[in-house]
Amino acid sequence: MSALAAKAGSETPPRMTYASRVVWTRRGVIAAIAVFFEIYGRTFADPNLFSPPSTIVAALFQKVFAEERIRDAIWITFMEVSVAYVMSVVFGLAAGLLVGWTRPGRHAVYPIILLLYSIPQVILLPLFVLIFGIGPAVKIAFGFTHGIFPIMVNVIAGMRNVSPLLLSGSRSLGASSIDVARHVYFPHMVPSLFAGLRLAMTLTLLGVILGELYVSTTGIGYYTKLFAERLDPAPLFALISVLAFMAILLNEVVRVAERKFTRWKR
Amino acid sequence: MTTLSNDKPTAISIRNVSQRYGEAGSSGAVVALQDISLDIRQGEFLCLLGPSGCGKSTLLNIVGGLFSATEGQVKVGDKIVKGPLPADISFVFQESTLYPWYTIRENFDVAFKFQRVPRNEWKERTASALQAVGMSSFIDHFPNQLSVGMRQRVNLARGIALKTDIILMDEPFAALDEQTRMVLGEDLSELLAATKKTIVFVTHSLAEAVFLSDRIVVMTARPGRIKTIVEVNEPHPRSPDFMLQPRFSELRNELYALLRDEIRQAIATTGGSVRPSGD
Repeated sequence: MSALAAKAGSETPPRMTYASRVVWTRRGVIAAIAVFFEIYGRTFADPNLFSPPSTIVAALFQKVFAEERIRDAIWITFMEVSVAYVMSVVFGLAAGLLVGWTRPGRHAVYPIILLLYSIPQVILLPLFVLIFGIGPAVKIAFGFTHGIFPIMVNVIAGMRNVSPLLLSGSRSLGASSIDVARHVYFPHMVPSLFAGLRLAMTLTLLGVILGELYVSTTGIGYYTKLFAERLDPAPLFALISVLAFMAILLNEVVRVAERKFTRWKR
Repeated sequence: MTTLSNDKPTAISIRNVSQRYGEAGSSGAVVALQDISLDIRQGEFLCLLGPSGCGKSTLLNIVGGLFSATEGQVKVGDKIVKGPLPADISFVFQESTLYPWYTIRENFDVAFKFQRVPRNEWKERTASALQAVGMSSFIDHFPNQLSVGMRQRVNLARGIALKTDIILMDEPFAALDEQTRMVLGEDLSELLAATKKTIVFVTHSLAEAVFLSDRIVVMTARPGRIKTIVEVNEPHPRSPDFMLQPRFSELRNELYALLRDEIRQAIATTGGSVRPSGD
């Protein structure tokens, strides 16, 4: 939560009155939620199921960061997500470009990909465990299969509806088909690609965490399950906030790249 | 009315060009152009005028090598047109074909790259073409940051910067408001007087046709054929005063008289609706 507030503050410095009103409203809402849960946690809540924010912050340092095994677990989850995500981007982009490049390709293959995308993959998790074991491989694989679909789908979708006028214009200028791919199709697809990249980030994280929750001996998912089973909510929530921070961090990387590559959109 | 002393060499020769869409004999078959033959002289400004759907744009695209004709042949100089000829012909379309993801400068650079213009000429050519249309200060803007009229100016400048002898324009001012259209028309007349390019220009506007053209090719309703060719004897550059002369209105009325029946026929056969791709 504190990470959220800091992000909001650095993003929009309170220069304009409207912007600062937005920032302060946001901070106010966050503070109100924190105060509400602090009071709730100290009064009515079952201490086996819920902890007030102050206890969570304390647990973050005393029970989460203090323990080497849990520090390692956070690092492992981070690495698994990163590897799975990079693989999703590379293969998703390549497959998307391959399918999206020609009209018949799009028409023939796109519906198949959409169909596969709509299947809840968690149904396949036991099979993944049989294939990849219970180490990092299964989590990377599961994160990868979650991340690749939104990227493929958005890359293919992004290559539709290229203005015929731009294509005729390029041809009249003497552009080769490689020129057209590079200077028309690719830039046209980029905004859609970034929408896919953001979605893929969330889903990769989901895939990895699902793998850890289901069968694992380490990672954030494993420890959240452990703390929940021990009825120890403070470190559980602390771990969840670490996970949230990780999501924000990775999302920020995508956002910076997006700003750089879609200058013309603004 | 049709011929004048024709001493200038031919830039584009169109011979018996026909264009059909769909299977011959099937119910969906459409004859867009029928047996068009026309010589376009070097340095002339030629207008293609006709009712919607008469195949004006199709003819332009065939000349530019973007479509291939069902029958007949087009020659540019000695070359038979089989595909785009970027070294000889540049296009200016109805809407800007500037890439929205590149700045104006980058757009020019990419066009030069496609056309294989030596890199050391890029900067100078971009600068002078933008200057000619009064858009120099927008060189680092993205197209979306400009108004429609400004974009079309830049689009025109790119056509000029490519330094092809022939420019094909497909209703380049159609998306603009009346005033911007007039101003750009005047600018165009001035630019062309200075550069001596061969221009083929498709338009719906009678006034635009008379104001800009040396010759106006009036086409019939679909299937498009050449109905007649009207000469406009008026040196370039033309000032707005030309529009106030009686001859301007006479030519305009003459064109309207020629087109009226064709337009009525076009409305009768298509029910007033025109296939968007047919024109």
